[in-house]
Amino acid sequence: MIDGIFQFIDENTYLLLGIIKAVVIASALLGVVPLLVWLERRLMGRFQVRLGPNRVGPYGLGQPISDSIKLLFKESIIQNSADKFLFHLAPVVVVFTAIVSFAVIPMTGPFELFGEKMGLWASNINSGILFVFAISGMGIYGMVLAGLSSNNKYSLMGGLRSSAQMISYELTLGLAALCVIVHTGSLNLVDMVERQNSWPNALNLLNPPLMIAFVLFFIAGIAETNRAPFDLPEAEQELVAGFHTEYTGMKFAMFFMGEYINMVTMSALITLMFLGGWNTYILPDWAIIGFVAFAFKVSFLLCVFIWLRSTFPRIRYDRLMTFGWKFLLPIAIVNLFLEAAIRVI
Amino acid sequence: MLIDLGWFSFDLFKVTYDGVVLAIGGTAVLAALGVVLCSSPIYSALYLIGHMICLALLFLMYGAEFIAAVQLIVYAGAVMILFLFIIALLGGKKESQSFDFHKFMAFSFIGTVLAELALSTRVGPTQPITGIFDEKMIANVGSAKAIGLELFSKHLIPFELASILLLVAGVGIICLAKFAYKPVRRRSN
Repeated sequence: MIDGIFQFIDENTYLLLGIIKAVVIASALLGVVPLLVWLERRLMGRFQVRLGPNRVGPYGLGQPISDSIKLLFKESIIQNSADKFLFHLAPVVVVFTAIVSFAVIPMTGPFELFGEKMGLWASNINSGILFVFAISGMGIYGMVLAGLSSNNKYSLMGGLRSSAQMISYELTLGLAALCVIVHTGSLNLVDMVERQNSWPNALNLLNPPLMIAFVLFFIAGIAETNRAPFDLPEAEQELVAGFHTEYTGMKFAMFFMGEYINMVTMSALITLMFLGGWNTYILPDWAIIGFVAFAFKVSFLLCVFIWLRSTFPRIRYDRLMTFGWKFLLPIAIVNLFLEAAIRVI
Repeated sequence: MLIDLGWFSFDLFKVTYDGVVLAIGGTAVLAALGVVLCSSPIYSALYLIGHMICLALLFLMYGAEFIAAVQLIVYAGAVMILFLFIIALLGGKKESQSFDFHKFMAFSFIGTVLAELALSTRVGPTQPITGIFDEKMIANVGSAKAIGLELFSKHLIPFELASILLLVAGVGIICLAKFAYKPVRRRSN
């Protein structure tokens, strides 16, 4: 019996490994969300000279747990005029795409475990960065569907705004990423990190055209994840809560989860493309140190996201569009030409 | 993994692969039917998105990663979002339509027969692809590099012509949207 089990494992190592990786990555992502909510509330408290949640557990760490229990047991209200199927589908799409797009993010260099060469990623496909853009592009549908199916003016406006905003900023995001692709000569995220592993061309960030690309990518990334100061789709003062006005309980929490997972994915992408990924340059080249370095860089970027939210006021909608189309996009195109010219010369 | 039942043996991975391809293809056809048969514009658009995603999955199953990603980004991502956008702006109401089932069946039958006739006259026997295929080339199939080389060497002129066409269309859209046509006023002396 036991021999049979071992033989089964031997024959299907890759399949089993893939399943384990998928489960671990998905559950880790979902586990990160409450921690991020806690971090955001604590940091926002600091920034605004107040305490933030500090009553439940040490440093208020019990707060996310109690919040999620509250959300789980809340009554789920669906209004009569809503389109039931789409109303249920929308939060599912948001969370699904957010988790799936993380599948190609490599978290540390390839290492050997039990004589088996493996890497800490769910899959290392050739056009990894395109995959992330493709799947996160699908995530827009969640918001548009939520807006369409709620049968509510504010939700509809929120959905429309989110789709317009994300289409506009996706162009800048893509063109900024294209600079890195031209620089690396590959669409693979692991290649992009390995291109930055030695001093002369370490840290894509220090390369002049890529420095501009970094700023563009960061700004467009904030807009893509619908974070402040670009959180027009859920502007409280004008739209109540935007596309998720009608959602309650866990379905509301799923939109939240999607937003936070997207934030993590965006930070991970920026880390991989511009900040050298898991390279530390001074510490020994171990997989575990690489992972810690990667996690440190990602959490630093997440803190910057939160910092920006508590610093800037929300910008007006027409300004947002003008900024995207007439300012960021031309700079991105010129920057791409520049990078290509430098590569050719 | 080879599964042997004594009287019948099969490769489990290969059978699963074929099954998945068939399932995706069937879903694509059903989704395409849904686009035509659905009376609510939102659901029609959603079926079209489903169809696009199925096509992307088929590309992926045949090892064309790059085309699959581009299919998702361009068609399922950008084009269909605009469709939904317009439906949301115009307010997609469900249409009530009188539906004559017999007439529909008759027409679809005639259409299918005609299409099959046209296909049978035009399509010959399947021919193998000729050319030099070493291992390196086969490994490169579907990668961005292979597609780029093909586009910018063999199909350069059509590619550039298409880009000019797109540019003209883009300029045309801006002209139509931005500058409202006003009759020329003569200056009164």
